[in-house]
Amino acid sequence: MKLRRKCGLKVPEHDDLAEADLVDELSKDDLMQAHLDWAPVRLEALKRLQEAKRPWPEHWHWDWSKKADLLDLLAYRCMGVAQGGRMQGLMMLSTIAGKGRLPGQQGKAVLYIEYLESAPWNLRALAGTPQFLGVGVRLLEAAVEFSGEEGFGGRVGLHSLSQAADFYRKYMTDLGLDSSQSQGLRYFEMSAEQVRYFLEGRRP
Amino acid sequence: MRNELTKRTMTLNLTEAEMGVLESLSAQKDLSKTAVIRQALRLYQLLDARLSKGEKLFFEDKAKREKAELMVMI
Repeated sequence: MKLRRKCGLKVPEHDDLAEADLVDELSKDDLMQAHLDWAPVRLEALKRLQEAKRPWPEHWHWDWSKKADLLDLLAYRCMGVAQGGRMQGLMMLSTIAGKGRLPGQQGKAVLYIEYLESAPWNLRALAGTPQFLGVGVRLLEAAVEFSGEEGFGGRVGLHSLSQAADFYRKYMTDLGLDSSQSQGLRYFEMSAEQVRYFLEGRRP
Repeated sequence: MRNELTKRTMTLNLTEAEMGVLESLSAQKDLSKTAVIRQALRLYQLLDARLSKGEKLFFEDKAKREKAELMVMI
């Protein structure tokens, strides 16, 4: 992996900010290491949820070690946020341009986010009080930046699980359930205007 | 680990027709010619990898109810 730049994460326990590394070009070994770090924590948290008869997060079965082989292909690229020697969040991007669906950018190149996940200790549903907040936003910022570097104008798109839809709705346009795919996921896309507001830290 | 920071330069010789297509795609997609070539390379490698595993590639026209396998020599 290589350092892309520094970034900040919120530490809710101390109402403070922590400096973190936004890392790029993650290798298969990096994903394997993150999986080994995350899996036992996730398993413990799922056991607690089961005992408390509370629902599991929709993405409980995600296994980054199984996604690692995608990195053999130029079509995929993985970034992460690292802090304290641990991966705090991971994002897999498709570097093959998707087609824009929003009015005004239909047919234009869009960077597609395949997967985006915060470490289990950063998820309210699993950890109660997250260790760090803002991991998802930092990764979304990195995707927008990379989209610009690729000549895609900062445009990004993704399919969201229903539990994450409220998060993406803050920054992107919800284009509703996507009938072209079978998992019943909603498609979200960020317009050029939303990109501008997002990078300025404001909402449209 | 891939090292995409180290970029290498090459000269690409294209026919008039090929350059015309590249320029047309570049304009249509609002991408630089380099970006179009990069997209083509990524897609070519992805298709090659999946076809090599025995997967098939189809084009479907739902309106005409036609579905045809694309036979490519990759």
